[in-house]
Amino acid sequence: MRLLWILLKKELRAFFVSPVAYVVLALVMVLSGYSFRAALSILERGPSEGSIVQWMFQPNWFWLSYFFVFPLLTMRLFAEEKKMGTFETLFTTPVRTWQVVLSKYLAAVLVYSVLWMPSWLNFKIVDWITAGQVVVPPGSLTGSYLILLAMGCFNLAIGCFASSLTSNQIIAAVVSFTFSLLHFLGGLFIMVLGRKVSETFVDIINYFASMEHIRTYTSGLIDTQPLVYYSSLALLFLALTHQVLEFRRWKP
Amino acid sequence: MIDVQDLTKHYAGRVAVDRLTFQVEPGQIVGFLGPNGAGKSTTMRILSGYMPPTSGRARVNGHDVFHASLQVRKSIGYMPETAPLYTDMRVKEYLRFRAELKGLTGRALGQRMGEVMDLCMISDVRRRLIGHLSKGYRQRVALADALLHKPPLLILDEPTNGLDPVQIRQVREILQNLKPAHTILLSTHILQEVEAVCDRVLMIHQGRILAHDTPDKLTRQLRAATLVQLELKGEGTHLLNQLESLPNVRKATLDGEDEGWKRISLRVEARQDVREAVMNLASAERWQLREMHRQMPTLEDVFVELVASDRTR
Repeated sequence: MRLLWILLKKELRAFFVSPVAYVVLALVMVLSGYSFRAALSILERGPSEGSIVQWMFQPNWFWLSYFFVFPLLTMRLFAEEKKMGTFETLFTTPVRTWQVVLSKYLAAVLVYSVLWMPSWLNFKIVDWITAGQVVVPPGSLTGSYLILLAMGCFNLAIGCFASSLTSNQIIAAVVSFTFSLLHFLGGLFIMVLGRKVSETFVDIINYFASMEHIRTYTSGLIDTQPLVYYSSLALLFLALTHQVLEFRRWKP
Repeated sequence: MIDVQDLTKHYAGRVAVDRLTFQVEPGQIVGFLGPNGAGKSTTMRILSGYMPPTSGRARVNGHDVFHASLQVRKSIGYMPETAPLYTDMRVKEYLRFRAELKGLTGRALGQRMGEVMDLCMISDVRRRLIGHLSKGYRQRVALADALLHKPPLLILDEPTNGLDPVQIRQVREILQNLKPAHTILLSTHILQEVEAVCDRVLMIHQGRILAHDTPDKLTRQLRAATLVQLELKGEGTHLLNQLESLPNVRKATLDGEDEGWKRISLRVEARQDVREAVMNLASAERWQLREMHRQMPTLEDVFVELVASDRTR
């Protein structure tokens, strides 16, 4: 536990000493700021069925600010250590592989959570300025950020895995981006095209369609199914990362 | 301290280390010597628990490097060849992080950090970014890191690689000061280094051990001829022939002449001393002798000879 904390401190420090965290934070703030502005202008037009939270997260271009985050946050994690050779010094100290994996992953999750803080503040500010005239349903808000976190945990685990495969950060970034996008598009295409296919098939696809998860959660419906889905996949990819790193110790 | 039995490592079909067997006693400084690609780094990585052997076994401080990797890693300080460091950290920060990883805490941690920084002469750069340091400083930061937890065994892969002569001397001094408390296995391909600091030499070539002995014994066993150099002034054209007719002298050659002083080198049978005979000859012939000097064979000669005989085998 003590070692995990030491490693986590070092990883967090690495994020905030390099410009990466700030650049990603700035980009996410700009893009989610636009999303927020767009949501406000929809409400300006007149009465609306959806709440401001739904208009913020449901339009397609919210996804613009979404996928580039994961490669940027995770490509460094293992690839850089391998490239610089510090991988060797790290693993010749008495640390266990799972401690290293978990510390790097947790650091990425923490930084990812920080990225969404400003957008959360946007809602609070609107609520405060309009003295509650713009309704920000607390259930929708909680649901939205919960699903953002869950999807983030999953995609960051993919990024971790990609970074453990190579010593080249670009390759790690491309692999992680491709995996995340494929998962997203798999759900999206069937949702768009799949109106004519059988209902059970749509149900199956909805099980892993991120768009669908966002839709349910932003309406304030907190369904445990996606949470289980994302957290188990995140665990799977972390376990794979662990195996990739451990392989070195077993390869004859 | 180190017990290696039949250690073998294959890389993608290539044999890097071939049935290595050797022991290292506590308190010794052992020089691991061999040309590039001889298997030094591979052996060191296996000993540090970084990777497993293909077959055979290695024990460090009584623990098996594969089955008790964590115990092994606690009892070694390992410095890889390139001295990798986190370039975005400051020296003090880095050493603190490493010390914490190695289990140091509180007052002991601060005290030990001060000690190793003084010992490795890096106190003056403790606030600098590692990325801004010169190669020499980085090398010593890596050495300080290896020393932090006072490991009984230090495994140093080319610790003086890329240093200037002054720094090399400093590192050698550091190593010699560590001697009673630490066992050191250091690899190098600089032979003077081994002669200067090591108690024992382990020569390997193509993954096999060529020799394992003290530097003195190795040079004494050398079959190659030794060299005696003379400077003398004397009449007579048969001077060289007369010298060559002395027992045990293989060949006498005139290297040059300087205001009548002839510089001559004699190749002598191994383990023979001809200096007294030369002295007697010179006084009998009334030659003036102003210099005589026997060149001892160096480890370099031993090494070249062993590698050559290994190739012909």
